[in-house]
Amino acid sequence: MKAVREVLGSSLLEGVTVKPNRVNMVVDKGAHRRAIEALKSKFGEVHLFSIVGADLKDRLELTYNLWLYEAKIHVMLKTSLPLDGLEIETITDLIPGSTLYEREVYEMLGVIFKGHPNLKRLFLPEDWPEGLWPLRKNAKLEEVA
Amino acid sequence: MSSIDLVIGPQHPALHEPERFLFKVEGETVIDVEPRIGYVHRGIEKALENRTFVQGVYLAERVCGICNVAHSLCYVQAMEDICEVELPERAKYLRVIAHELNRIHSHILLLGVAGELLGFMTLFMLMWRDREDVMDLIERLTGNRVNSAYNVVGGVRRDIDSKLAEDLRKVMDRLYERMVRYKKVFANDPTVRARTVGVGLLSRAKAVDLCAVGPTTRGSGVKADVRDYLPYAAYEDLDFKLVSYEEGDVWARLMVRVDETLEAIELIKRSLDKMPSGPICIKPPRVIPKGEGFSVVEAPRGDLNYHVYGKGASTPDRVKIRTPTYANIPAVCEMFKGGYIADIPATLVSIDPCFACTDRVAIINVETGERRSLTIEELTRRGK
Amino acid sequence: MGLISWARLKSPWILHFNSGGCNGCDIEVLAVLTPRFDVERFGILLKGSPRHADVIVVTGPITRQVAARLKRIYEQVPDPKFVVAVGTCTLSGGVFQDCYNVLKGVDKVVPVDAYVPGCPPRPDAIIYGIAKLLGKLKGGG
Repeated sequence: MKAVREVLGSSLLEGVTVKPNRVNMVVDKGAHRRAIEALKSKFGEVHLFSIVGADLKDRLELTYNLWLYEAKIHVMLKTSLPLDGLEIETITDLIPGSTLYEREVYEMLGVIFKGHPNLKRLFLPEDWPEGLWPLRKNAKLEEVA
Repeated sequence: MSSIDLVIGPQHPALHEPERFLFKVEGETVIDVEPRIGYVHRGIEKALENRTFVQGVYLAERVCGICNVAHSLCYVQAMEDICEVELPERAKYLRVIAHELNRIHSHILLLGVAGELLGFMTLFMLMWRDREDVMDLIERLTGNRVNSAYNVVGGVRRDIDSKLAEDLRKVMDRLYERMVRYKKVFANDPTVRARTVGVGLLSRAKAVDLCAVGPTTRGSGVKADVRDYLPYAAYEDLDFKLVSYEEGDVWARLMVRVDETLEAIELIKRSLDKMPSGPICIKPPRVIPKGEGFSVVEAPRGDLNYHVYGKGASTPDRVKIRTPTYANIPAVCEMFKGGYIADIPATLVSIDPCFACTDRVAIINVETGERRSLTIEELTRRGK
Repeated sequence: MGLISWARLKSPWILHFNSGGCNGCDIEVLAVLTPRFDVERFGILLKGSPRHADVIVVTGPITRQVAARLKRIYEQVPDPKFVVAVGTCTLSGGVFQDCYNVLKGVDKVVPVDAYVPGCPPRPDAIIYGIAKLLGKLKGGG
């Protein structure tokens, strides 16, 4: 746990050990890449469980659920995005398996992942209206029903 | 040689769901793949925000009817995570039994379908006949063959009596012997081996990078199984043995499932032996408190995780579901590359997709604009 | 009853179409072909191509993406054709009724001849539904 904190250093805004093998780490919007790079270099193989986007009304919280195989620690790497600035850098070069997860967050919540090789829709039908992000709290889904 | 675009999807004669792949092909070799999914998108994550956590179990388990126990288990565990409930011991063992029965029926289903795809119709029929015995047990334990809402926040809904326990043991013993015979077929039959060995290769490094899960990644030598690294329910006390193979081909992935079925039978018997008496459920809280819960389980296809945000009401604020097949799509696209068109069905079935590929293959010749259709029989016949 | 109706009656060939379901109904449809239930003894065969089918068995709540494809497949099946809707989702959308991507019932897309409710219906219920359809064919000649 301490090792994880050290690794993240100053970009760590808040670090809490939630359970014996789970750590909540909050980082700044720009720092998530550095955090993941640091975790990979220090802890070896990393598995991405999921990327969760949640519309919390005053901000959009992105959680990267990472599993560190060797250390057996689940890191919940959190970062917040302001609702009028939904952009963040991609991590597909660091973790290739994240490519579809980022597309899903884009499609459902409208977050732009800068540098993503193929940021296109995945699930919604071709005739779905632009700019309607289904998982936002203010999404007006009646127009498509 | 110029490349041709080959579209596969979205309808199939066997069970799976519709979805589409676009392959770039040169001659008979696949160069690149683009998946087009979304035919089964039903907006479940949004709908779960409008369901109380009791109603949510009914919806969550219908994300996939085949691994429904895994879904309901993961959902209730995520909520138990927020509420920090202490489960009764007996409930943990009952959950393991339902979970492993679910795994057995799912693996037999897939192995039968794989057999059919490889041309082995008899194997499909025989395995599915044995699967019916498992379905009977599932029905007696949980109340329904499929979609039973067996797991609730705080425990399980139905108990096991001594008659059912006895029958479980008898059927499991019989099934074990059958599975040993099927294992010999998959391991040694020359036709099966010719179609699966060396096909759909996924290296260990790629499996980790692409975050593949379940038998797909364990077939490439990655020793990752949630029941091993983050044990839940009663797995810590059950002497769980992880199954993995090194070869990284379709054969290895099928063999992982065969061995896992054998291990599942053992786990059920061990659970019956060790299960303590006691209550099967505790009274759940009325609301989901503010907070976050995360749960990951080893569904038959790989790790399934739910991330739940509670807001202090009876409905959750946000539910995120990451299913195993979704995690395996980048990996399967990687497996297609460099392989032959004829290997596509076998490769796809080896990740045990919970959506489908196809019957109809339409080949669009980019230059002449000519379209031809092949049935899956023609497709598979061309290989060997 | 003419010869053709008799032939149709004796061996309907099925096309199974999953319109975005959870697979619960689909595995019960597939189980119907396996030795425990064995519908092949009625002459029912599962076919891959719409051109070879007499009966379309539809499962799943109809998602928007799939609706157009289902219509196209329906048109490709040669007359006379019949549609059996299996599972509560095909009748009304089932548990997914309030979901944004789901149409409430397959009869909004194609005409249906037999409905089999259940979530999922047991294989026995599916066989009963098909038997009822055969009975309907018999009556109509």
